[in-house]
Amino acid sequence: MKVSFPYMGTTVIYKKLLELLGHEVIEPPVPSQRTIDLGVKNSPEFACYPLKIILGSYIEAIELGATTLVTSGGHGPCRAGFYGETHSRILKNMGYDIDLIVFDAYKRDIMGTIKNVRKIMNGNSLFYLWETLRIVYLMAKSMDKMEKKIQKLRAYEVCYGDCNRAWEKVQKVFNDIKNIEDVKKAKIKSKSILDDIKVIKIPEPEKIRVGIVGEIYVVMEKSINLKIEEILGNMGAEVERSQYISEWIDYNLLPIWISKPHELEILKKGEKYIKEIIGGHAKQTVGHIVDYAERGFDGVVHLMPFACLPELVSQSIIPAITNEYNIPVITLPIDEQTGLANVQTRIEAFLDLIKNKKRIRIA
Amino acid sequence: MKIGIPKALLYYYYYPLWKVLFEELGFEVVTTKNTAKELVNKGIKISVSDICVPIKIFNGHVLELLEQDVDYIFVPRMMNIRKGEYFCPKFMGLPDMVKYSLTDAKDMLLTPNISSNSDDISDVRNYLPMCGILGVSAFKMRSALKKARLSWKEYRSLSTKGYTAKEVLDAMESGIDIKKEPEGGFLNIGLMAYVYNLYDEFISMGIVDRLRERNISIQTFEMFNENVLDNQLKGMKKVLFWTFSNKLLAVGYKFLKDVNIDGIIHITAFGCGPDSLIGKIMELESIDYKKPFMTIRVDEHMGENHLQTRVEAFIDMIYRKKVMSIKEANIV
Ligand code: SF4
Ligand code: SF4
Repeated sequence: MKVSFPYMGTTVIYKKLLELLGHEVIEPPVPSQRTIDLGVKNSPEFACYPLKIILGSYIEAIELGATTLVTSGGHGPCRAGFYGETHSRILKNMGYDIDLIVFDAYKRDIMGTIKNVRKIMNGNSLFYLWETLRIVYLMAKSMDKMEKKIQKLRAYEVCYGDCNRAWEKVQKVFNDIKNIEDVKKAKIKSKSILDDIKVIKIPEPEKIRVGIVGEIYVVMEKSINLKIEEILGNMGAEVERSQYISEWIDYNLLPIWISKPHELEILKKGEKYIKEIIGGHAKQTVGHIVDYAERGFDGVVHLMPFACLPELVSQSIIPAITNEYNIPVITLPIDEQTGLANVQTRIEAFLDLIKNKKRIRIA
Repeated sequence: MKIGIPKALLYYYYYPLWKVLFEELGFEVVTTKNTAKELVNKGIKISVSDICVPIKIFNGHVLELLEQDVDYIFVPRMMNIRKGEYFCPKFMGLPDMVKYSLTDAKDMLLTPNISSNSDDISDVRNYLPMCGILGVSAFKMRSALKKARLSWKEYRSLSTKGYTAKEVLDAMESGIDIKKEPEGGFLNIGLMAYVYNLYDEFISMGIVDRLRERNISIQTFEMFNENVLDNQLKGMKKVLFWTFSNKLLAVGYKFLKDVNIDGIIHITAFGCGPDSLIGKIMELESIDYKKPFMTIRVDEHMGENHLQTRVEAFIDMIYRKKVMSIKEANIV
């Protein structure tokens, strides 16, 4: 059984989880134009953009020999809930004999989850599974911390690309982990890698901070969002995303009393603007914008798959938040036709606007 | 006190209920005129550009109500009317969108959450949160809802006799009984469309009348009891999450299987995500079932001529098909 998973964000983490459980892991390639083309070609045209890319990513993993795919089902009332089913149907039609294991929100489907856990456990003891989960969770936590740092440092790096190179190194370091001790060592090692990045000193008031919010897949996966974090970073803005893997685990997998998920707080902040959970991440989107505004960020980039139903609702409400909190927000719909040049120009203009605003405020 | 109900979206399905409810509570109910070009333009101006046309039109109607100086505007938050299914996210977020894109309406909105196990949404729990705002007792609310439910049931039962929602609404408004029985035409066409698309003349450009003028009978989803539709999708792996979209799909399958239906027309408004999915499914299925199928996608700027020509061509085609099959049957 060769196992793979969809490409989304920091994939070392999923890889490690499966590897420690003794699976032979096939790493899906970083999504490229080919991934996009494959996904778009084989998906029904009405499908959401994330569904298409994930399909492309699956196909590439299968080409490399994967026979089992592990993923988490979407939750909440939107099309994402059907990703798993749609994917397995399409793959079957394409003639692939694949086992697609979908972890749905376990609170909804306990039996199904247990069955899936069995498959993934691969004959290991529960104790070992627990240990592994702990390792991976700690790993996710510290990697997210590192990534957050990188997202800040990139704005000030002296040598273009230093941060990207450092992040590559950090991922390699974490890739070698075998036990809890290793996680601690990896943390220390990564810290020193980050410390080696040469940066320009910028006075605090001149720093620009931009938050990225929106639908989870386009926010988390940089090869799909045209590396928006790097575009912003290279133009001198510190970046923070609305979603990180460890936070996703906190909210979706851990019992509330253990993790006190950040996402619950965010949902509370969004409540004033979108009262109910309406599907996708719309309520989180508005909650995060409020959060960023309260934390003094200078602007927010709102990413959404083109024609995403719930995000259109948040897009409709954003001008009101901008008004109330005086925080500029730019919405970028993303699909296979989104051009890099166009996005770059828009981001540049957006940052100019932020800088001007700041100058006026400082003066 | 005046309560405004925008003539858009689920007005076409629940007006008989909501109108009687507010009147029984002792309020005056005001609604808007039929959608006109100007109203649409106003709606477009305050909506995000990628959002579907029906939502833009809804916004236009709310603006119109603001000009009629009403005290409250009723914009319920439609959550679900089936277990495990929901409304399209835009319905669930509608009050929020209106509140924040139409700031003038902000403090005038009545936005109870509507949640139910069936199409009958008259459960008092849905409306209790309005008691405080409107200053009515729970008891009064309960008895008003009883009357409201009866009115809605009457609306539904007339619909299932084959009248269009528009005919029923007009009849109930004017208090005049519908006289003419819906008569059988030579051709039967199944219309797949949300009520707010089909009965909004701006979107459907009067397609119902056009078809009837040509002696064609039509069927729509609201002419069937909800359990008839639910049965259509039984045993099928759920493809959709959204209640009304499921109704369309269900009636679509019903049309496909019904030998008396000569063709199916799907009318959809530009920017509808769920419809693009349904349209695709039907496109494929109609080939299997050998049933003529056509989609009309209406955007804000579509011309009437275009619609006219396409509908004419479609009718001619199924007309010829039917004549041929009758001839063949006679020869054999
Ligand atoms: S949240 Fe958006 S992208 Fe995700 S399934 Fe729903 S419509 Fe598609
Ligand atoms: S179902 Fe379609 S037309 Fe209706 S509100 Fe949703 S997207 Fe718009």
